[in-house]
Amino acid sequence: MKQQRLRFRILAFVVIGLLGVAAVYGAYSVTMYGSRWFSSAKNTRYRSAKRAVIQGDIVDRNGIVLASTDSEGKRTYQSNLASRRAVVHLLGDADGNVANGVDSFQANYLLGFETGLSERVSALIRGETRRGDNVMITADSKLCAEIVSTFENGEKTKGLNGAAVVMNYKTGEVLALVSLPVFDPLKVDESVKTDNNHPFWNRATQSTLPPGSTFKIITAVSSMQNMTDALTHVYECTGATQVMDHIIQDYGKEQHGKLTLQKAFRVSCNNTFAQIALTVGDDKLRKTAESFGFNQNFLFRDVVVENSNYPTTDRNNVEIAWSGAGQSKVVATPLHMCMVAAAIANDGVMMEPRLLGRVESPTKVIRQKFTQKVYTTACTPEIAATMQTYMKDVVANGTGSSAQVSGLTIAGKTGSAEASVDGKETTHAWFVGYIADESYPYAVSVMVEGGGSGGGVAAPVAKKIFQYLKENAKK
Amino acid sequence: MSKKRPRPRVKKSNKRHPDRQLVSAMMLFYFSAFMLISLNGEIALEGMALSVVVPAFIYIATMWLPRFFPADKLLLAIANFLCALGVLILYSTDQGAGTTRGMQQAVYYGVGIGVMLFCILLVRYIRRWKFLINLMMVGAAILMVLPLAIGTEQGGATNWINVGGTSLQPSEVVKLALLLILSYYMSRRRFTPWFVFAVFCLGMLMLQKDLGTALIYYATTLFMFYASTGNLPLTGLGIVGGAGAAVLGYQMFAHVKKRVAIWRNPWLYYETSGYQIAQMLMAIASGGLFGVGLGLGAPRVIPVYFTDCIFAVICEQFGIIFGMLVLVMYVILILRGTSIASAARHSFHALLAMGATAMLGIQTFIIIGGVLKLIPLTGVTMPFVSYGGTSLVSCMGLIGLLQGVASVNQDDLTYDYDISHSQQEESMLPEAEHE
Repeated sequence: MKQQRLRFRILAFVVIGLLGVAAVYGAYSVTMYGSRWFSSAKNTRYRSAKRAVIQGDIVDRNGIVLASTDSEGKRTYQSNLASRRAVVHLLGDADGNVANGVDSFQANYLLGFETGLSERVSALIRGETRRGDNVMITADSKLCAEIVSTFENGEKTKGLNGAAVVMNYKTGEVLALVSLPVFDPLKVDESVKTDNNHPFWNRATQSTLPPGSTFKIITAVSSMQNMTDALTHVYECTGATQVMDHIIQDYGKEQHGKLTLQKAFRVSCNNTFAQIALTVGDDKLRKTAESFGFNQNFLFRDVVVENSNYPTTDRNNVEIAWSGAGQSKVVATPLHMCMVAAAIANDGVMMEPRLLGRVESPTKVIRQKFTQKVYTTACTPEIAATMQTYMKDVVANGTGSSAQVSGLTIAGKTGSAEASVDGKETTHAWFVGYIADESYPYAVSVMVEGGGSGGGVAAPVAKKIFQYLKENAKK
Repeated sequence: MSKKRPRPRVKKSNKRHPDRQLVSAMMLFYFSAFMLISLNGEIALEGMALSVVVPAFIYIATMWLPRFFPADKLLLAIANFLCALGVLILYSTDQGAGTTRGMQQAVYYGVGIGVMLFCILLVRYIRRWKFLINLMMVGAAILMVLPLAIGTEQGGATNWINVGGTSLQPSEVVKLALLLILSYYMSRRRFTPWFVFAVFCLGMLMLQKDLGTALIYYATTLFMFYASTGNLPLTGLGIVGGAGAAVLGYQMFAHVKKRVAIWRNPWLYYETSGYQIAQMLMAIASGGLFGVGLGLGAPRVIPVYFTDCIFAVICEQFGIIFGMLVLVMYVILILRGTSIASAARHSFHALLAMGATAMLGIQTFIIIGGVLKLIPLTGVTMPFVSYGGTSLVSCMGLIGLLQGVASVNQDDLTYDYDISHSQQEESMLPEAEHE
């Protein structure tokens, strides 16, 4: 009998343990994913709440009201067309065509789901319609408009799709998040819905593309982590490297001769980075990429970002060699590549991108304040310092020279990523970089779909952004 | 022992009984909850009636019944709280939908109390089980075959039969028989009868494609086998065999594969089969910590919100914290059940109590784990709470079996007390007279 009692206890322990696991898992997943489930475009609940609650305002970092609600409960936007279009992907539209805009992702604030009981009751007693909280986002709507106009008026970018992200690399605040083409949230007609360029798609957070040579930042870091002679090793570039039955060449089929890592980075030599990838090996390169956020499940508090991928299955040497140059199924979003540049700028520390500045109730009670958070430590400060030198070299003397701004030290990396879109070969132009100045701690990422050369097409857009930041950013 | 004197209770204290306060709080909670719903908008007389009837049921089952035989009042209180919670949620979701599930569930609740009483009396007064057990085996076997012969399909499984206008789920009723049969033969160390019966039931459930219930039967049988023999190698073999069968089922049946795929990412299949889980998750997330409030929210967008998904509705309306507290109630139920099993003097009673406890626990885990997306969702009911007469009645039957064992335990203790005191009285007669 005594033994049986012990067994009873074991069984009870097992069953209770199972229930405990369910409880812990439930609590965990609601904490981690709850806001995503709630703000899903499929959730009809918060839409029905719109009838009972006046949706709160969305204000940008300079106090410009981006979205408000009129007396009839209809969502209103800025009267300026250019400015209204520029933030459409940030905010989302009233019909929920754009996924995870602030308007839906922060619906629990905007629709007053966080309002306390006493406030609810007092609104009930006064017979007023309850107002949701006002949300201030970290973005600068003027900068967004500037980026859109640069894209739409630039000679080489006119008519092309793309994305640009600007963030503060010290705090993680997202200043701009733009996806081209944009559309007018007040005029969502059939032509917008059937547009082959998919204007609803937020390319900055939802498009995972090969990062091309901008990924060489990570390959270079990996070589420094894993090769003792990384900085002094002399590579030989004959213009073509044969791996198995495949020949690796540069974008312009150049021949660089003997060169070190720094020079190879400056001229963006694919042959060298293919050799590095093969020397370091797939596993170690993947490990470095993972420390920079590849293959991680991004669960940021206020931005929903597609996960970036570095392939994990067994791969042949051609694929590994091309991975060193950010090709062969290595994919990332423009926002994530901005975070990579920001991590180098911030001495190896990657900040969580944040969009929520402050949340205030209609009665000016502060519901939520901005808090910055370290997302991960990507590499050591020493390696980051070396990379900073290299990236400055790229803009000063290398492929990124068209991003130079007089009076500022710019660091960056260009990329011309080959991809196939609907079966057609195309080249995406990339530029990621930052301002190496304590007063302007901003990192930038620009991607132009089918733009061709990163140095020729994306870097000039980044230059415009840097100029705007120099002239307008508050110190 | 010639002179008759009143049996003293083993524990006697002059303090107010905490169980009385607990039950009063429960009654008040349900009174105000039903009043709240019935006064919202048009005054609903049905709701008013329920606001009296449900607390009355709670009082009868937890305070009045135990006057006639000793019982574990905490266990009773929790089971009744959960039953009444089911009635409340169903009644609140009835509002504006034109359904009458709340009223029906209240009736089932009343029947459930009756069945509980019946099971208590059964365990308490039946001394010779042999004939009954044989009868049960035959009856249960017929009941398990019936759905295959004359059953109707609901939600992919053929596990219902229609008897005189009401539908009935035989596997729910057979649960009670299974427990009695298993514990009867296991306590007598006779392997073949219970093994054949359990395998037969499992086979029938597989044919009915009722995988959730099959899992409950299988796990309960395995747990009871371990409890009675302590044979770890064979139990381990059973676990491995069950896991192997699950893998085999996954490989063989397309619909099982689909279930697993939906479980891993319901959002991918939102338009079709992932809809249910996605809706449940959105409901839970919309409730937040403290819920949107009783009768509010949009619970009816969840498919089968009244049975499988009722836990998601509870979380939406009362919040995730309340949901976790409901889980804690099941944990307390398991703890009480285990202590009843441990206190039992007869192997049969001990196994019966442990089996009933394990069965309730396993069923709770399967459904709540499914709703919280920890495991693939299988269509079993949430004990006491889900809509469904057979399910509610069989769960109350399980509580009845447990209470029956508890009352026998209490009688045994009192008997011990009497013996020891009568011995004392004999040895110390003068003082006894002085008393």
